[in-house]
Amino acid sequence: MSIISVDGLTRTYRQYRRFPGVMGSIRSLFTREYTEETAVRELTFSIQEGEAVGYLGPNGAGKSTMIKMMSGILVPSSGELHVLGQVPHQARKENSMQIGVVFGQRSQLWWDLPVKDSFDLHKYIYKIPDATFEKNLTFCLEMLAIKDFIEKPVRQLSLGQRMRVEIAMALLHDPKILFLDEPTIGLDVMAKDQIRQFLRTVNREKKVTIVLTTHDMKDIEEICPRMIVVNKGELVYDGSVAKLREKLGNERQVVIEFREEPGIIDVQGVTLLQEEGLRKTFLFTRNESSVFELVSQIAAKHYVEDVSIEHTDIESVIRRLYQQLAANQ
Amino acid sequence: MRTYISFSAKAFSKQLAYRSEVWLRLLGNFVTILIQAEIWRAVIGHGHVEGITVEQMITYSIINTLLMSLLLHGISGKVDESLKSGSIASELIKPISYPLFLLFDELGNTIYQLLFTVFPTFIIALFFFGMVPPASLTHFLVFLIALLIALIISFLIGYLISLLAFWFMNHFALSWMLRGFITIFSGTFLPIWFFPSSWVTVANLLPFQYMGYIPAAIYLGSIPVQELFMIIVAGGGWIVGLLILVQLLWTRAVRRLVVQGG
Repeated sequence: MSIISVDGLTRTYRQYRRFPGVMGSIRSLFTREYTEETAVRELTFSIQEGEAVGYLGPNGAGKSTMIKMMSGILVPSSGELHVLGQVPHQARKENSMQIGVVFGQRSQLWWDLPVKDSFDLHKYIYKIPDATFEKNLTFCLEMLAIKDFIEKPVRQLSLGQRMRVEIAMALLHDPKILFLDEPTIGLDVMAKDQIRQFLRTVNREKKVTIVLTTHDMKDIEEICPRMIVVNKGELVYDGSVAKLREKLGNERQVVIEFREEPGIIDVQGVTLLQEEGLRKTFLFTRNESSVFELVSQIAAKHYVEDVSIEHTDIESVIRRLYQQLAANQ
Repeated sequence: MRTYISFSAKAFSKQLAYRSEVWLRLLGNFVTILIQAEIWRAVIGHGHVEGITVEQMITYSIINTLLMSLLLHGISGKVDESLKSGSIASELIKPISYPLFLLFDELGNTIYQLLFTVFPTFIIALFFFGMVPPASLTHFLVFLIALLIALIISFLIGYLISLLAFWFMNHFALSWMLRGFITIFSGTFLPIWFFPSSWVTVANLLPFQYMGYIPAAIYLGSIPVQELFMIIVAGGGWIVGLLILVQLLWTRAVRRLVVQGG
């Protein structure tokens, strides 16, 4: 049974036309011309219980819209969407008892209140039994090291501290699914690491299904075995991180430093990308022969000082995917 | 229920952070009452106009000034803000009823006002201007019911304006217009018994008089006992009508919801 199923889901926004300038703004008052912008187009996928899915795509790809539809605060324009067997916006309140939502760019805490009070209020809102509340609170306080600032008002917290509190709060009511919209945005390396580790534990040990959007590929690499990539509202990739790397990772960039100007390099499968004097960057197409073979072919003809092979991290894989997407349009 | 009461408690304690405002509010209320008292003294003098004495008019002004601090139609500003900033998203992902959340949040503010503004102003006004006692025990009891109706109607009207903001994405013009309507047709400043008859008809067709004129007029006994029942029933009718209207609008408003930013 899939915990989230999305079938042909579309969400459009109406964008009323505005005319520039003072005269234009007067004209805007009398026209109701609008364009339909599609934020999510005919999306279909499903997520199983216990999965951790990274939902990514360039800015404006419709990621947040999707999170908002799944959490029941936006109504889809067409298509089917079921979360835990229910249509989220129709069963908004029941749905919200089963899910936790964290918006990286929007606080859900009570600004003027101490952290502890926000937790207590959360307990009443979600009708959490005392035992569950204590258990989850202890778990979160320890794992996220919140104890030191639990008496401080939220407005005095650093971004990293606040984010830890937001995530802890989203988990207090034992949600089955945790939605995170850019949970690590703007955080320092230490805070990011702490949050990633925590989310991993929550997913692997507490079996909470996680769906997170992010621009930081490390989030995906460390938390999510599966990723869904969208672009302009459409699905462009759905599968494991390893598979995508295989699909796109057959090209490598190699930087070679020569002792003297080698002239034109004529080796099959090697293209010159850029040169800074004797330091030249090549693109190797890997499917023909291994990188090592190609390098030794070059080294046989020219005097090579140093070679470095660019690490194909997921970031560059995604960059390549986005570049391909842009080129195909 | 516990949940909603805790919203009131939070709103209440949030107000405590702005304690220095209390003095300004007290001063503001005092000046408002003073101006009205002086106007009525000048207009009515020592006799009476349309059977109303200066003392009754001053009492009328005091009741209305105090009532204004308690009414709940201010919620449209709050909804407008959370629509514009998109923080409405955080409110809607919680398993709570949105209108009840707004109501209890605002009630917290009202209780604060009651304790720190209305009650002290009442004492000050009593000392400086004096008040006539309620016309009768019946009138006083019905006056309390009328106060409750005033609170509910003011909340529903404020909520109605908030929902309209889902279409216009701005509540300012609507609230401005609403304020005009309330100032005139609630009878807050000029009691409806001074209105020309055609305007009395208009005022009777609108719910605003329940937010000022009716409670004060009941207190003073200007409304005969036999009419009180019908007035309360009509107030209940307005509440039901407004409830149906906001319910209809809410289902439509949610479909239109566009969460701003990210």
